[in-house]
Amino acid sequence: MEFLIKLTLNNILNYNKAMRALQKYYKQSATYKIFSGVFALLEDFLNTLGQITIKGLQLLKALFTAHIDKKELIEQCDRFGISSLPITLSIVGMTSIIVASQVANEMVKQGGGHFIGLLMTMLIVREVGSIMSGFAIISMIGSSLASEIATMRVTEQIDAIKVLKVNPVEYLFVPRVLSGILMMPVIVIIASVVGVLAGAVASTLTTDLSFRAYFESAWLGIYMKDLGVSLLKGLTFGGTIALISCTCGYYASGGAKGVGLATTKAVVWSFVAIVIWDMIFAIIFFF
Amino acid sequence: MSIEVKNLVKVFDEKRVIDDISFKVNNSETLAVVGFSGSGKSTILKLICGLLTPDSGEIITSEGDTAMVFQYSALFDSLNVADNISFALRERKDLRKKYKEEELKDIVAQKLELVGLKGIENKFPAELSGGMQKRVSFARAIVTEPNSILYDEPTSGLDPISSTLIEDYIVRLKEETKAASIVVTHQMSTITRTADRVIMLYDGKIVFEGTPDEMLRQETPYTKQFVTASLEGPMKMLA
Repeated sequence: MEFLIKLTLNNILNYNKAMRALQKYYKQSATYKIFSGVFALLEDFLNTLGQITIKGLQLLKALFTAHIDKKELIEQCDRFGISSLPITLSIVGMTSIIVASQVANEMVKQGGGHFIGLLMTMLIVREVGSIMSGFAIISMIGSSLASEIATMRVTEQIDAIKVLKVNPVEYLFVPRVLSGILMMPVIVIIASVVGVLAGAVASTLTTDLSFRAYFESAWLGIYMKDLGVSLLKGLTFGGTIALISCTCGYYASGGAKGVGLATTKAVVWSFVAIVIWDMIFAIIFFF
Repeated sequence: MSIEVKNLVKVFDEKRVIDDISFKVNNSETLAVVGFSGSGKSTILKLICGLLTPDSGEIITSEGDTAMVFQYSALFDSLNVADNISFALRERKDLRKKYKEEELKDIVAQKLELVGLKGIENKFPAELSGGMQKRVSFARAIVTEPNSILYDEPTSGLDPISSTLIEDYIVRLKEETKAASIVVTHQMSTITRTADRVIMLYDGKIVFEGTPDEMLRQETPYTKQFVTASLEGPMKMLA
């Protein structure tokens, strides 16, 4: 009997030992590394999505209940709209020049020279103005918001806000997101105007089209619906960029490396988010 | 009684960083929490002020605010000294409309005087020395007249003279506010100059509780090792 018990125990111990060895061997395999890498990415993706959703819901509540500090809101609007304007306008203007200089010649050759203005206006008002402004704002303002709030997190300033019994969503998120919602449509309108003008200059320089001919057809390309959708895109992009950037900064951890990671995450997520929004708008309004 | 901690447990990654800890701090009393790095000292403060949630146990604080002075001051670097100190009075829902601008200015001046810093209202944190930043954070902490004040390593990174000054202000604030205070520290001078009682933590548990004098007598292996800063003893450096 004693022998049998010993034998069974030995078998169990050997089985456990063998399983551990197998586990160790498996953990070194490429399959394990690939799967664990994919799961880590998936976990990080779901985690970030959850954080953005939670902060989005808290923000929604705070937008109606928070006391809005006008001075802080104006400061954030200035940061979002005014200081980013030169870069945004340059990017949209240059994109329009690039498109116009390539398309105008071809259209003239095909006998469609009188529709260059229409095409450029439609393209800029519907797409280029909003999406390129969004990209410019992400790289300038989104990254700066994320790194600012991430620095506050790693230097315990956000903890200090909580200990002083001030709601960090109301204090940090509300003015920043509100400024994004208010300023982005304005930026999109100004950028679209600059884009149409830059397209006119490029078209007239690369072809023998006149300004008058360009703008006569340009008016035909502007619809109220397009302007409305463009404004809607502006406020959605602005709010989304600010929310994602603030959230990524808010959940930063570690030191300088954590600030860098949070900033990168904010930029990547904002880029993907506004492209997804753009696709949703295209499906809803232009399909 | 102002702060009472009962059977507190906090687990991080399956490790019990705080393991069934209980203690009390009365009004006008200062408790020093000492121990090796990673022994859970700062975690206790974060649990008491609500930055972390305990896994089990109870924290009872008497009515009123609990203030915290952070290890690296945690001043808001985009705000000047006056706005840092009056932050809670300006932004907190229950205090926002209580004070007029002139009253806020008076309160800020009064708190700055209490920590020995007059006329620096318009300076920004980056323009101040480490010791001055620490004192501004003291002023910010006491602006809501809290019933309990938590200090997280208040003298770390400061020169001996600035440390003495900070220790004097901890004692002064206790006398002025009658608050229950908890000071997390490694420094013997901070323990002997500010604390009425000491608890020593090791591996998430309290391994010594007594007065600073009792600790200095080195009657237990733990106090002996801590006071003599010896590598030999029951406490091993935690990874």
